[in-house]
Amino acid sequence: MAFESLLKVCALCAVGLVAVFGVFDGLDGLDQWLLDHPENLALLHTPIHTDSAHTLLLVFVATAVTMPHIFHLGLAENPLMRNSHTVTWAFPLFLLLMALPIFPILWAGTELSVPLPPQYYTLGVPILFNSPGLTLLAFIGGLSAATGAMVVISLALSTMVMNHWLLPSLKLRTRTDLYSQLIWLRRVLIAAIFFGGYLLYWILDNRFSLAHLAMTAFIETLQFLPGTFAIVFWSKGNRRGIIAGLIVGTSIWALGLLLPILTGLEFIQLPLVNYAVPVGIEYWSEVTLISLGLNTFCFVIISMLTRQTEDEQYSADLCAADEISHPVRQALDVHSASEFKHRLAKPLGKVTASREVDIALRELNLSIDERRPYALRRLRDQIEGNLSSLMGIHVASEIMDKCIPHSTVETQTTVDINLIESRLAEYRDHLTGMAAELNTLRLYHRKTLEELPMAVCSLGRDMEVLMWNRAMAELTQTPGEDVTGSYLEDIPEPWCSLLIDFSQSKEPHFYRREIELNHRPHWISLHKANIEGPITAGVYDQVMLLEDVTETQLLEQELVHSERLASVGRLAAGVAHEIGNPITGIACLAQNLRYDSDNPEVLETAEQILSQTDRVGRIVQSLVSFSHAGHASKTEFEAVSIRDCANEAIHLLSLQKEKTQVLFCNDILRTAIVAGDAQRIIQVFINLLSNARDASPEQGRVMLESNEDENSVTVSVTDEGHGIPPELIERILEPFFTTKEPGEGTGLGLAMVYSIIEDHSGHMDIISPADTVHNRGASFVITLPRHLDSFMDA
Amino acid sequence: MNNQRLVILLLLVAYIFSPSLFNWIINPAGAWYRPYIVWVIVIAIAFVMQIRRKKYHEFD
Repeated sequence: MAFESLLKVCALCAVGLVAVFGVFDGLDGLDQWLLDHPENLALLHTPIHTDSAHTLLLVFVATAVTMPHIFHLGLAENPLMRNSHTVTWAFPLFLLLMALPIFPILWAGTELSVPLPPQYYTLGVPILFNSPGLTLLAFIGGLSAATGAMVVISLALSTMVMNHWLLPSLKLRTRTDLYSQLIWLRRVLIAAIFFGGYLLYWILDNRFSLAHLAMTAFIETLQFLPGTFAIVFWSKGNRRGIIAGLIVGTSIWALGLLLPILTGLEFIQLPLVNYAVPVGIEYWSEVTLISLGLNTFCFVIISMLTRQTEDEQYSADLCAADEISHPVRQALDVHSASEFKHRLAKPLGKVTASREVDIALRELNLSIDERRPYALRRLRDQIEGNLSSLMGIHVASEIMDKCIPHSTVETQTTVDINLIESRLAEYRDHLTGMAAELNTLRLYHRKTLEELPMAVCSLGRDMEVLMWNRAMAELTQTPGEDVTGSYLEDIPEPWCSLLIDFSQSKEPHFYRREIELNHRPHWISLHKANIEGPITAGVYDQVMLLEDVTETQLLEQELVHSERLASVGRLAAGVAHEIGNPITGIACLAQNLRYDSDNPEVLETAEQILSQTDRVGRIVQSLVSFSHAGHASKTEFEAVSIRDCANEAIHLLSLQKEKTQVLFCNDILRTAIVAGDAQRIIQVFINLLSNARDASPEQGRVMLESNEDENSVTVSVTDEGHGIPPELIERILEPFFTTKEPGEGTGLGLAMVYSIIEDHSGHMDIISPADTVHNRGASFVITLPRHLDSFMDA
Repeated sequence: MNNQRLVILLLLVAYIFSPSLFNWIINPAGAWYRPYIVWVIVIAIAFVMQIRRKKYHEFD
């Protein structure tokens, strides 16, 4: 098509140049010739002065839209034509280049007295100019133009006839190969249209000029003009109106132009008044005006008298470029893309249905798991569009209406916010004045909501998500594009149940709902408000605000926890003080008893009392040291060798022969020197190492390692025991928390370690399991500040 | 609001000026290619508008 056009233009321009420069010796020569032969110019001016000039203009302008092949190319087949702005100047330029050489060629033909009708001057001029090459070019140009037009017209006509006449009345054999049936049908149609064209030519027997035939055809296509205009500018027009208008207009055209051409009729006798109306191609102007006028009149009147169907209303709203229309959201009873395949399998056959759905999904960049109603509506439209180009709008919409119907009953009042938004975005550049300002305002408000540092979402009354702002996307880890337009029940858990609960509840606030995200508890506060719908009062959309209060919640918990620790410490100090005195008394009495008696039973009892009071004493002692922790002032801190402290602790522990025997490996560096209280650091090691020993198997190893940098020393104590369960890690530092048997441990050891380390401005981490390969062992990592003076000395 | 006021204004201007323009175009004393000049002007305007629209979209 493009090549054909180019060839046509080149050929015509070449012949035009030959006409100007070959026949007339340049533009000056042409002007001189026109001065010499003014009758040629006068010939151009005469027709313009008659009334028909304007009608002619109307006919030609209208045919640029309504000629079947141009209409088909522009609207049905080639969306590029609509999108590319290059067409706005390139096409007129093309036409200009086509039109410019016409008159020079005409005049050159007149000058050379070409013995052919003026239509063939393009061929005649080069022939008489004795230029066979140019003649060939002109011939090929003309041939390609004619072939191109014929090919395009017959293709367009066959598609139209097939889609709008044949397929609706034919029942294709379903479940077999639909595509090949369509292709064969099309081939037959193309052949039929070719033969039909030839038949017309044969019937007319070359009695009419090309101009007359074209005029007749153009005037009929003009009858589609009112309908075409109404698509964009008049949304109230309906099918009955268009059909009535077309029938009236076409009848007048047929009586006035078609019949005279076919039968040679010259007068039509009006039945009631005794008057014969002259008809024929000479009266084309009158026929045009009357037919088009009555056509438009009927269209308008009938459209106004009859009512639009719902489908027509919907389509008109979609087409209208008018700002007051409310596109109504039509609900589908389909819930996933795969359901489309299933439903379409019946009329189309399984393979075709699946293929068509896949194509449409790919074109929309959607996946087969798509469940959003907005996306499904778009998918339906896309499939309908694709099927339309395959088998025509009528059949396609019939299939879609039968298999995937819109349920418009109760959602009639639901305005399609998504559609309005996307349409506004599309028309943004075309908006002017107040509308543009309103749109800017809309964008600003939208942006405000979008960037609001709190999670916001809004819901339609059918639970469709209309908005999902950026904070919401961050909070839920679900991007807005995935969610907007879907039903609330399709969004991922735990949000789905939380939001559904909330939107259905009567309460306007939910405080601190606990949900689990990434295996960690989160607390969310929710607030909501109703939005009155844009059309109907009394029905409400909802806007919801979500607040992540996890951090506040955690802080509160921590505060409560440390408050509890503090009160435990105070209690411990009091208890230690109160219990210490009586215990000392009991111990003294038991000592006395031992000296006063020789009875072995009494001695045994005294021994028991002493050992038990000793144990109570130790517990009390550790309570006292726990509650006194933090009282040591840092000014008393001196350089302490960690390695020596650890050795001391190991030595003390090795005295306890009755406990599990383990191997302590002290690999702490000699340079690991911290500022601290040596006795208390030894206490830390005794606690850590005895815990490690108790957790270890017989002959297990307990590793002590150190690591240091400029400011701190890190010491780790690692055992090969069973490790600490993750749920207990948080709790083992609490006072009185122990996993040992009652009587074995006080639950104060690690709490004391922790408080000593805190007093030394260090901190402690617990890693369990330490050996991730065997999933065993625990490691206590203590970081303490270095003793800077000794570091300098070293 | 889609620029329809502009279209109406354009139609009005065209209606007012079309007789004089038309007369000028078909004036027998003028050159035969006068209609083509108007044609070229229309193409030039469309071209310029397209260039400007492109720029506008680039800055957009």
